[in-house]
Amino acid sequence: MEPKEYQDLEKQVTPPIPYLKNALKAFFVGGIICTIGHAVTYFYIIFFDFTEKTVGNPTVSTMIFFSMLLTGFGLYKKLGQYAAAGSAVPVTGFGNAVISAAIEHRTEGVVLGIGGNIFKLAGTVILFGVASAFFVALIKLILVSIGVVQW
Amino acid sequence: MKKITFFFFVPLLLVAGCSGNEKTIEVYDVFDDAENRVEIREVLDSNEEIYSGTAIFIKEQLLVAVQANPWLDFKKESIEEELSKEVEKRFPDLNVLVSADYKIYWEANKLVNEEDQQKVSDQVEKLKNLIKEET
Repeated sequence: MEPKEYQDLEKQVTPPIPYLKNALKAFFVGGIICTIGHAVTYFYIIFFDFTEKTVGNPTVSTMIFFSMLLTGFGLYKKLGQYAAAGSAVPVTGFGNAVISAAIEHRTEGVVLGIGGNIFKLAGTVILFGVASAFFVALIKLILVSIGVVQW
Repeated sequence: MKKITFFFFVPLLLVAGCSGNEKTIEVYDVFDDAENRVEIREVLDSNEEIYSGTAIFIKEQLLVAVQANPWLDFKKESIEEELSKEVEKRFPDLNVLVSADYKIYWEANKLVNEEDQQKVSDQVEKLKNLIKEET
């Protein structure tokens, strides 16, 4: 069989990917996650002393905590299979990446297994965040020192 | 059946927020100065960029908490600034504080029906500190 023939055959056999359906699923599940996040935001604003400026940090940590619980109980996996990017792009995907790596390697021991692998997937995100925050702050410091903008 | 329900309910949910365009303005005034009340109402009413506002007059202080129209959330700071200038021009001897933050708006609305003046004053002081909070 020629490579071309094989490719044609493969095209005929493979079921078509429902791009639109997948995108809609991701859109709605991602939207629902963000709605829950907004509810958490209002919970912190109404019942605690947080303003819209300061409420971001507790909201993010709460959402990560929720996704960690769901991952531990094996529910986030099902959500991920259904909605794909819709469940991975919001910050809950970050919690899922941390905990699923820890669960995967827990048989290898606490230090070398969990400790060594917990940030295997999410470590890049943290590193990128810290490094880019450093450079953005540096650029702002320079601009403030020159007198272009104010703090 | 499931699909039919989906097609009927999703558009309904999407347009559910489009009702009620009335502007709500509340004023709390311990001095009972009708002139002040009318003036601040005028300022808030004439501003097209907000849909709701609460003003509290207490002990040389004027706290104005507003909510920006939907889609204008990103320019909250400029709305605050413009409104602040306008209010300061009209009330030059008061210590004016304008905020578009939801927390301030929520707390201000709770204070509108409060009887105890000392409590209102303390609370306004607390809100002032809260606005300054960065972390």
